[in-house]
Amino acid sequence: MKIRKIRIITGIILALFFISAPAFGVDDEPPTSVRIDSLSHLYEGVDFDHELHVDIEENCSVCHHHRFSSEVAADRCAACHSECGGTFSPTCSDCHVAEPFTGKHIRQMEEDPHRFHVDITGLKGAYHLKCLNCHIETGAPTECVDCHERTDAGNRFYSSGKYAPTGGKSGGSHE
Amino acid sequence: MSGISRRKFLKSTVVAGGSAAAAMSSTKSFAMKEFEGYPESMGVLVDLTRCIGCRTCEAACNKEHGLPEPELPFDDFSVFDQVFHEGKQKRRTTEKAYTVVNRYDTKAQGAPVYRKLQCFHCSEPACLTSCFVNAYTKTKEGAVIYNADVCVGCRMCMVACPFSMPAYTYDSALHPQIIKCNFCYDNRLTKGKPPACVEACPQEALTFGHRKTLVKTAHERIRSNPKKYVDHVYGEKEVGGTSWMYLSSVPFDQAGFNTTLQHHPILDNTKSFLGIVPMVLGIWPALFMGFHLLAKGGKGDKESKDKVEVHGE
Ligand code: SF4
Ligand code: SF4
Ligand code: SF4
Repeated sequence: MKIRKIRIITGIILALFFISAPAFGVDDEPPTSVRIDSLSHLYEGVDFDHELHVDIEENCSVCHHHRFSSEVAADRCAACHSECGGTFSPTCSDCHVAEPFTGKHIRQMEEDPHRFHVDITGLKGAYHLKCLNCHIETGAPTECVDCHERTDAGNRFYSSGKYAPTGGKSGGSHE
Repeated sequence: MSGISRRKFLKSTVVAGGSAAAAMSSTKSFAMKEFEGYPESMGVLVDLTRCIGCRTCEAACNKEHGLPEPELPFDDFSVFDQVFHEGKQKRRTTEKAYTVVNRYDTKAQGAPVYRKLQCFHCSEPACLTSCFVNAYTKTKEGAVIYNADVCVGCRMCMVACPFSMPAYTYDSALHPQIIKCNFCYDNRLTKGKPPACVEACPQEALTFGHRKTLVKTAHERIRSNPKKYVDHVYGEKEVGGTSWMYLSSVPFDQAGFNTTLQHHPILDNTKSFLGIVPMVLGIWPALFMGFHLLAKGGKGDKESKDKVEVHGE
């Protein structure tokens, strides 16, 4: 009875694991769409059209560093990684942590003398720096709401929309 | 023929040389006593090449500290066009905003540069030195915090600060006080959490960490990307070092920075001045106007005077 229970629970955990982190080998087809919403709060999550981006950029390493058999995109990375095969994971959040500035994480990065990559951006920084820089360079959309809708919490945060100061106007763009 | 004999002349040069040497050795002993900042001091590295001027940091600070409602929404970018004092000055921190972001259309770069501004949390803060009731504290975590309970409202800190950071609640008749960024000391820094602005920045233009480590990180970013960055970490040395430091792709003076600041703390000036000047309250305004000018690079030029007048408003 007890053993069965444990088996069921383990089964559920394993199932959850495979749903949230599908095993993705080098020879597998890339996903067509990726839902990016683990950090969404001020903005809705992003339904990232992976297929579209694969069509635009054939070299996976532009985003996934030295992943897969594609050429290492950045010279700086190639210095060590051109021959060493892919990274252990294609998932951004496996290296770019959601909370890079907790005391614990800062210590972890500082205290491991064997760690080479110490200036790794957090997950939010990684997304925005990678996506936005490329969008600016290629003339793709760059306004915040072009990728994700502002939430009600977001409007409150920015004192915008229905939370706009009386007399002040709301919303805006860099244009 | 002058009345000075060769012997006398030689003697006087020796004396002059001697005093110069003495002066040098005293500078040296000053340098040796140099305070390197608290070892555990935290800091923030602001990378201007990453900042997109989204003002999320401003909004985060406003909400974190329950500051008054802004005049315009935080997603209104027309604020970047605001200029004051005949176009010479961009937005500054006020009693309603601990931090502001400004836009600089630079010669060096096609795209504009945005700069977030807040208290620099100097290693040896002039605000602290100038305050004769000790309303300021430099904490071991690196924050420069202010205690309104002991402040007498003399506003010397506002004049002494080389970055013109402290603001004053002039419109509060009963309890006016100094307002400035406190590094989110109470609610975050002491709890091992990053400042609210850092946490909110979508671009990670703000990197939080130990100041010591951030200096290395900054130089490493420059080293690995020499074409992208100006080879200078603003705040590493300025006024004896600051906890908030900056990296830029354009010369710092084009992004609104004062590049004439001395590399030793303004405290040194204060110390030697206080050694000779009696501590009479009446002379403090004049004295600190002097420090202020010293802080601005010792140039009593028109620009500095304009800036001083701004304080008096
Ligand atoms: S920037 Fe100004 S207010 Fe802030 S610590 Fe330095 S001297 Fe004080
Ligand atoms: S550190 Fe805290 S107080 Fe200072 S600007 Fe950032 S959010 Fe505001
Ligand atoms: S939140 Fe970050 S990117 Fe946005 S204006 Fe502030 S520092 Fe710049």
